[in-house]
Amino acid sequence: MIIVGGGATGAGTARDCALRGLSVLLVERNDYSTGATGRNHGLMHSGARYAVTDGESASECISENMILRRIARHCVEETDGLFITLPEDDLQYQQTFVEACQRAGIRADVIDPAEARRIEPAVNPDLIGAVRVPDASIDPFRLTVANLLDARLHGAETLNYHEVEGLIINQQRVEGVKLLNKQDGSHVEVRGRVVVNAAGIWGQRIAQQAGVNISMFPARGALLIFGHRVNNMVINRCRRPANADILVPDDTVCVIGTTSDRIPIETVDDMRVTREEVDVLLKEGIKIAPSLATTRIIRAYAGVRPLVASDDDPSGRSISRGIVCLDHAKRDGLEGFITITGGKMMTYRLMGEIATNAVCAKLGNTAPCVTANQPLPGSEEGAPSQSDMTKRYSFGQRAAIGRHGSLAARIEKDNDIDNALVCECEGVTVGEIKYAVHQLHVHNLVNLRRRTRVGMGTCQGKLCSCRAASLMGEFRHDVKGAQEDLAAFLDERWKGMRPVAWGDTLREAQLTAAIYEGLCGLDKAVNLQGKEDVQ
Amino acid sequence: MRMDTVIMGGGLSGLTCGIALAKRGQRVTIVAGGQSTLMFNGGSMELLGNIDGQDVTNPLQAITTLPQNHPYSKIGANRIAEIADEAKQLLADAGINMAGDATANHWRITPMGIAKPAWLTLSENLRIDDLNQLPAKRVALMCIRGYFDQPNGMLAQGLRDLGFDVQAIEFTTDDITSLRRSPSEMRATSLAKHLVSNNALQRVADQINSLAGDADMVLLPSVLGQTDDNDIVTLQRLCNKPLRLVATLPPAVAGMRMQTLLRHYFKMLGGNYLTGDSAIGGNFEGDKLLNVTTAKLADMPLRANNFVLATGSFVSRGLAANYERVYEPVFDLDVDADADREKWTRFGVLEPQAYSRYGVATDDNLCCLKQGKTIGNLYAIGSILSGHDAIKMGDGTGVSMLTALAVARNILCGK
Repeated sequence: MIIVGGGATGAGTARDCALRGLSVLLVERNDYSTGATGRNHGLMHSGARYAVTDGESASECISENMILRRIARHCVEETDGLFITLPEDDLQYQQTFVEACQRAGIRADVIDPAEARRIEPAVNPDLIGAVRVPDASIDPFRLTVANLLDARLHGAETLNYHEVEGLIINQQRVEGVKLLNKQDGSHVEVRGRVVVNAAGIWGQRIAQQAGVNISMFPARGALLIFGHRVNNMVINRCRRPANADILVPDDTVCVIGTTSDRIPIETVDDMRVTREEVDVLLKEGIKIAPSLATTRIIRAYAGVRPLVASDDDPSGRSISRGIVCLDHAKRDGLEGFITITGGKMMTYRLMGEIATNAVCAKLGNTAPCVTANQPLPGSEEGAPSQSDMTKRYSFGQRAAIGRHGSLAARIEKDNDIDNALVCECEGVTVGEIKYAVHQLHVHNLVNLRRRTRVGMGTCQGKLCSCRAASLMGEFRHDVKGAQEDLAAFLDERWKGMRPVAWGDTLREAQLTAAIYEGLCGLDKAVNLQGKEDVQ
Repeated sequence: MRMDTVIMGGGLSGLTCGIALAKRGQRVTIVAGGQSTLMFNGGSMELLGNIDGQDVTNPLQAITTLPQNHPYSKIGANRIAEIADEAKQLLADAGINMAGDATANHWRITPMGIAKPAWLTLSENLRIDDLNQLPAKRVALMCIRGYFDQPNGMLAQGLRDLGFDVQAIEFTTDDITSLRRSPSEMRATSLAKHLVSNNALQRVADQINSLAGDADMVLLPSVLGQTDDNDIVTLQRLCNKPLRLVATLPPAVAGMRMQTLLRHYFKMLGGNYLTGDSAIGGNFEGDKLLNVTTAKLADMPLRANNFVLATGSFVSRGLAANYERVYEPVFDLDVDADADREKWTRFGVLEPQAYSRYGVATDDNLCCLKQGKTIGNLYAIGSILSGHDAIKMGDGTGVSMLTALAVARNILCGK
């Protein structure tokens, strides 16, 4: 069977199918986790956010939340979360909220505002109410890679930079996909008994290629990353979900989001953040944690949620935020084609299970789903956790264990060169880069960033990107490519910096220009014009 | 104590101006924040490298075509040649030996092996006067094992593209290996601090001499000589082939040495250099600045007849921008900048960016303006000036030195 889409859902489906003994190929047109998977808060919802408005989603969330703590603990930081009530909010809502959480099975403890200020000093001190819930922070890049790795360990094949150009359809049956290899421009056809469309918002186009209509409603959300971690717990507003009401600590930074705007399907590839979005995020973010007003913003980004209209409502008014799994044989009379969409990053595993169940039903496979119990690579029993690491690990090794869990053991560290730090903000070593290039399907610096966090820290890749580019040129025996890659990486960083280019972010931009253009002359060596926008 | 001139900013422009004034007997205080952008200078000065995407061959001639708001135009194109000579002499007097000609750019070689037009380059650095006549055919590119701030592959490829026959050779010595035990210690500055004794340099030379084969010239990353060029001269003497240095990624040892030598020269001339302090405001009376308050001497304002603002661009915090506007943070002087935030930048990281031309507004004498009024005794020099573009025009260091010297002249003749 073939899975289209290398986000969390595709990766989770690939893992589940491989674990049930199916022969799996996953194809992704860009890099893994470039869509909505890599463009959200990195929040592991407790489900509390949906408790009042969508009890079903809330129950799904808390159940998946508990599962991910077990199977993906190297991707999760157990921060807990607060739902705060500010003077401008209605404190009555807190009661409704707590009752709804209880109905959904989510622990929700009302705590004193003073206690909230004590456990989370960054919180707006004017708060008048607080509820503690089991929210957490999760690294979606690491999570996706862990799923892909496990799928491969169980025989799946995965290809990034392979775009579906068309589906092979024969007598009302999908029999495979036509692929464009975007790295070398070649075309290839691959056949399979079932094709799963897990392409997120781009799934509408994949369905169109099969002659099937799915009405998707792209909901765009913009977010801001701040230069350091002001909060240690997730902070939410205790009110009906609205703009910019969640602040999540992620590794060394924190993220505020999101806005929510319905956008035309034609514009889903334009991820540029507007001035208006930045203004809203800042205004609301400061209400949650006042210190954000003086914290450097290092980046703005946006993602698109793949919301789907219910089939019984062609007007699109009743849009589901829940999981939608369509068997096109039943729905459209087209065999061998399944779409899995809707849902959230949080419920990727459950979506994978549902999609795999549908595939297995078609193929007569009766193997049970084990993904809820079997830990992902990196989170197996006995893997060192961040808390039990001692002094015998260097900064780089500790950071690598944090990122790769037990797989960090595969990183070469036997000589002084492998231990040398390339990225000092995030503690990425030469050995880790080697590991990523050789084992984690890294073709360029942006891929490397997603796998290792190189260049994601406070300095945003000012010097480490050149070091990493140079090393990758060496490992891949392609020096010219490394220069173009470096320029493309800086351009990708700039896309996120430009909407917030004032203060220290503008300073950093000028410094980067001074180093890479002024000192190094990179602009004379490469031409970015005409290069593809999305990496 | 009343000074003749107080200079805010201790980088290339501030020091150049301070030296020129102190040399003529002025009592000068420089208030220096800390690191300057010389940290990113591999050992070259640029007068004018590029106009409209075209490399400039004769900067003096090209300067006559610049628009009226460019700092060179304010100085007067006809005075540039003379002031450029003065700048070159000032550097030599400070012990910074550079070669180059204001009427003919040469090529400096960047850490990525790319040739960029330059006016002056340190004499120990690889420099190409004519791309059709390379200074050597076969070069041995010595790569220090475990040192990542020299992108060796890119450098080697760039040199090959220029026509050199390059052999990249990895080497290490005991001194370098011991430095590598700490994973983050391999920076140019730490190498420069360790490779100082004659024994350590001899060990480097031994490696070079045994590995360089039949090369005509040996190239080494610029990781020597943070305070003076003695170590470089010693290593050149110990090597049995001509040795040239190549700029590295920051920290740039060569630029830090230029900073140190200029500072020493300024102090030798009797200048007063306040390190780790910065101007935070001042008192104006009419069209004059009376005194300047610094962060460390908040209750003891510095008084002077003239003041020079040399605090640099955004990088050095001489300019600042917030959510709403671009401003000059010490005195809130008038700036030449777009009011609309959307116009500050452009998509495309390598595109020309409007913000890099922003700076304080000045009159033709480089006097600053505040609320439209000229402040007659407050001058601006260097990167804080508007109307030039260090990144895209390659005029940053030239503007720093030449505006510094022009303002020194203005101050001395009472303009």
